[in-house]
Amino acid sequence: MVSTIQNTDVKQGFGPENMRLKKGIIGKDSSLCLLAEDADPVSSLQKDADRAVVVAVTSRAVFDCGAEDGDDVYGVGVAFPLLQALQRVNERLLEENPAESLLFDVVLITTDSQQQQQSSRIISNTRHYGLEISRFCFSSEEDFIESLLTNHVDLFLSTDRSEAAQASHKGVFSALLNRKVASSEQLRVLFCGDAVIRPDTDSPSASQDAAQSFSAQLGEMRQRFGLLHSPLSIVLVTSRGGRESCGTALRTLRSRGVSVDEAYCLAGAPRSPFLSLLRPHFLLNNDLED
Amino acid sequence: MSLKNGPTLTARGPDLASISNRTPLEDARMQLNPSTPTRKPKPPKPENAITIGVSARVLFNMEKEQQIYQQQGLEDYIKYQVEHETQPFNPGPAFSFVKALEAVNTRLRELYPDSEELFDVVLMTNNHAYVGLRLINTINHHQLFIERFCMTGGNSPIGYLKAYHTNLYLSADPAKVREALEEGIAAATMFTQEKMTQVSDTQLRVAFDGDAVLFSDESERIYKAHGLDKFFEHEKAHENKPLDHGPLKGFLEALGKLQKKFYGKGQRMDCPIRTYLVTARSAASSGTRALKTLRSWGLEIDEALFLAGAPKGPMLEKIRPHIFFDDQMFHVEGAAEIGTVACHVPYGIAQGVTKKGINDKETSAAPK
Repeated sequence: MVSTIQNTDVKQGFGPENMRLKKGIIGKDSSLCLLAEDADPVSSLQKDADRAVVVAVTSRAVFDCGAEDGDDVYGVGVAFPLLQALQRVNERLLEENPAESLLFDVVLITTDSQQQQQSSRIISNTRHYGLEISRFCFSSEEDFIESLLTNHVDLFLSTDRSEAAQASHKGVFSALLNRKVASSEQLRVLFCGDAVIRPDTDSPSASQDAAQSFSAQLGEMRQRFGLLHSPLSIVLVTSRGGRESCGTALRTLRSRGVSVDEAYCLAGAPRSPFLSLLRPHFLLNNDLED
Repeated sequence: MSLKNGPTLTARGPDLASISNRTPLEDARMQLNPSTPTRKPKPPKPENAITIGVSARVLFNMEKEQQIYQQQGLEDYIKYQVEHETQPFNPGPAFSFVKALEAVNTRLRELYPDSEELFDVVLMTNNHAYVGLRLINTINHHQLFIERFCMTGGNSPIGYLKAYHTNLYLSADPAKVREALEEGIAAATMFTQEKMTQVSDTQLRVAFDGDAVLFSDESERIYKAHGLDKFFEHEKAHENKPLDHGPLKGFLEALGKLQKKFYGKGQRMDCPIRTYLVTARSAASSGTRALKTLRSWGLEIDEALFLAGAPKGPMLEKIRPHIFFDDQMFHVEGAAEIGTVACHVPYGIAQGVTKKGINDKETSAAPK
């Protein structure tokens, strides 16, 4: 049973004084999801549940939680550049239209009990690094998928292949974070064309619907900007088929409202040199092969 | 850039897709044997193939669209392209060269059905993927065998050239060509030509200038600094010392490798690849060093034409190459005047301007 509680107490040890936690949702196995009051009241109001694109990222991807050296500050993780890029997209969206409601809404989620117990440290670290996180979900390996579902997550990002696969299997649209991403100003999203036209039949149709809905949201966001100097770039790569399959993927994406910026048709050429050049933050519809 | 010198008579090379040296009997045999597959062959692995990267503007004629881009900007250009998506482009300067490459592939596949030592043409363009469908439609329309492409949406194509192990890059943008040369990739700038004379449909013909194309520019430097007499003296004195290699040496080498595959099957006389050296050096003197250099590299060239400073046009008119590489615009323009598809290799001392001087208006977002 999931219940919502109002938490108006300022809890000590949860970070600096202006970090107040407004609303809490307790999941059935005591996972705790907390809505953080943003320093910026405007954007937190605008992250309207219906219009926001909710992206959940695992804490292990955001921070390098390894070193237990007594110092409370974590190192930065693989997802760090991604969060910065998401923030930049939001900033630019609001520049174009201060009343914009189609924004990224970032949820930081723990997916194992060890991380779950680091909640206060995780929150203070997001503050330390100035990350715009609107919700924290302190879940364990048993209930993180439920947290994803109750929070209506549009996209779940992890560096852990099996986590992503598990979530996908339960209908949550998931993708692997690219470990090799160089820090890029621009949010670069890569669609793997072979899966665009031939969706993975293992994942349930709920996940495919979620995939299409996320793509459409992304496509709409992209349209807010011009051809040049966009903070978001949509890249299509087809690995196996020839030009016809790339053409089909372009048409399919277009029919879903996604206009592609860059397209690469590899027709069997090895993928990894291209991925190193393309530097996507994450890969969508990937059949999880490297 | 477009060269509009000379008469406006235009003729395009015929479709080279249908070349066959089979006898009528062999043809009949093939028809009786239905097991010959007609499905599209798989593209070869990049490291095995001879990869030719061509930009959209040299493969196809995009003059009108380029004008829209320059006069009205990127958004209008894209809008026009999308509106005309089902309208194929006409052939550009590299078109007949690409068709000839495909004809050679057909012959190679007949002789070596399992080999991946083939030409692989990759479309390498700066265009946004919005133009992608029009380009794919055009490739389909002209029945070109191009299965690989990169539409970089304004980003530099150089890294992708390397990822495809590109052996030769042809583009309309001199800045990109120079960048490729700096990265050790053979490259040349192509221009739209009013006149493109008919070329052979049974044999790919590639013509090269010598100094600063196949060879380094070391001797050209001497000529420029000290004049013709000193140049002759120097070349005679160093006759047996091979010249250093130039940017197109590797491509000649690749062509030679394929030629040997035909010789190996007894097809030296009707080899579908023929190479030419068209140089201002003279046969009597400075030409010797050039020939000896090629020999020291283990490279053959089918015909060496020493012009002793005479214009190259008339000779090219006789040869009718599908493509001619020269480092001097004077010769490129001269060739284009008589209808030879000529391209500029911006390498060496003959390039009088600094990198920054040329084409400052070219931005990385310019579609190519």
